[in-house]
Amino acid sequence: MEEKITAKNVSFFYGTNQAIRDISLSVKENSVLALIGPSGCGKSTFLRCINRMNDIIPGTNITGDITIDDESIYAHRYDVTTLRRRVGMVFQKSNPFPKSIFDNIAYGLKINGVKDKYEIESIVEKSLKSTALWDEVKDRLHKSAMGLSGGQQQRLCIARTIAVQPEVILMDEPASALDPISTQKIEELIQTLKKNYTIIIVTHNMQQAARVSDYTAFFYMGELIEVNKTDKIFTKPDREMTENYITGKFG
Amino acid sequence: MQTHLEMDIEQIKIKMFEMADLATEAIKLSVESLKNADLILAKEIIKNDTRMDLLEIEIDDDCIRLIVTRQPAASDLRFALAMLKINTDIERIGDIATNIAKETLKINGTPLIKPLIDIPRMADIAIKMIQQAFASISEKDVEKAKAVITMDDEIDELNLQIYRELFTYMCEANRNISQSLSLIMVAKALERAGDHAKNVAERAIYYIQGEDIRHRAPGEIS
Repeated sequence: MEEKITAKNVSFFYGTNQAIRDISLSVKENSVLALIGPSGCGKSTFLRCINRMNDIIPGTNITGDITIDDESIYAHRYDVTTLRRRVGMVFQKSNPFPKSIFDNIAYGLKINGVKDKYEIESIVEKSLKSTALWDEVKDRLHKSAMGLSGGQQQRLCIARTIAVQPEVILMDEPASALDPISTQKIEELIQTLKKNYTIIIVTHNMQQAARVSDYTAFFYMGELIEVNKTDKIFTKPDREMTENYITGKFG
Repeated sequence: MQTHLEMDIEQIKIKMFEMADLATEAIKLSVESLKNADLILAKEIIKNDTRMDLLEIEIDDDCIRLIVTRQPAASDLRFALAMLKINTDIERIGDIATNIAKETLKINGTPLIKPLIDIPRMADIAIKMIQQAFASISEKDVEKAKAVITMDDEIDELNLQIYRELFTYMCEANRNISQSLSLIMVAKALERAGDHAKNVAERAIYYIQGEDIRHRAPGEIS
């Protein structure tokens, strides 16, 4: 597996407050990296650096560099719109558009220039099948997405994300507001999606990190304490601080 | 303040150490019963094995409950996994003591064909191995566990020595065969107790430093 994303000495500041410090790590293509750590440790901030979501927050500043396929996403000429197409994001709270299920997915395609009706229909179906939602919604594609359950809405958001064929999917606690069955479906989905995408997931649920990820990075107070294969982190971490966190001694 | 996870771990530890004490005591008494032809003591040992059997089930249940309800990770997970296996080893040591006691009953007070010297030595080594393996767990001391693994060679050597000696006794006179076979069984049982103590030491190393050293040559253990 080749390295898809590489962060080099990334620091991020909200005004004078430094949220992450000198983070360097790599994410392999078609793998799942879980970011864990206590609240305020900088994991979500780091996640948002990968698709430059933090750019929209006034008074923030980033140093260091992040590359995707060896290309700097913070280079002066790098097109942020292209970046956000390449790097999709799923949030904690599902946020479907107040439109039909079909339109939720078609919208992204249309603004990306896909005009052919049959192509759009085909991609909508494919995306819904990829997220195991097709059988549940195929009879009501033109009904409002707001009528779906929380778990279905979140899978719709994932379908919407993958419809535009990103290369990387960022997930910020995608299942924290869902019931166990929906959570399981999202976790199964992550396992399926990694065949085609590189996934980075922020989660507070350590068992979830252990279940879904290939690699786990532990953040604490803005610093990357340890990153390693997930089974290593959860059975024999190298750093005592990681051990103390995952065994619940702090955090 | 102790967390529920820490309290659960502590409870398992207490029961596991009780098991170890019962096992070492049973081995010690079983060899005493053999040496002194004490049939009452032998029967007592067989009866008391029930306590270890019950503890084994309790400890397994506690470990399973710990894994399910507390979802331990890292050293806590390794603790639960190690205890599940150590539990079986210690219970088997209890069974070994029972088997020795049964041999005492089989000999049934007949005078011994030779004074018992090496068998009590084997029992002492086995007991020391169990105690040291458990000390390595409570003190999280890998070196103590490694020393246990080395001690297993001594017990193996004594077993071989006893076998050779009793084989000679059997060749000398037919009347010695029955008791010699009993004593060979006892030596073999103690050699197995040493193997179980070695297993405990290996699991202790897994618990302490996360390294699985089973089936490695002594020189390969770092």
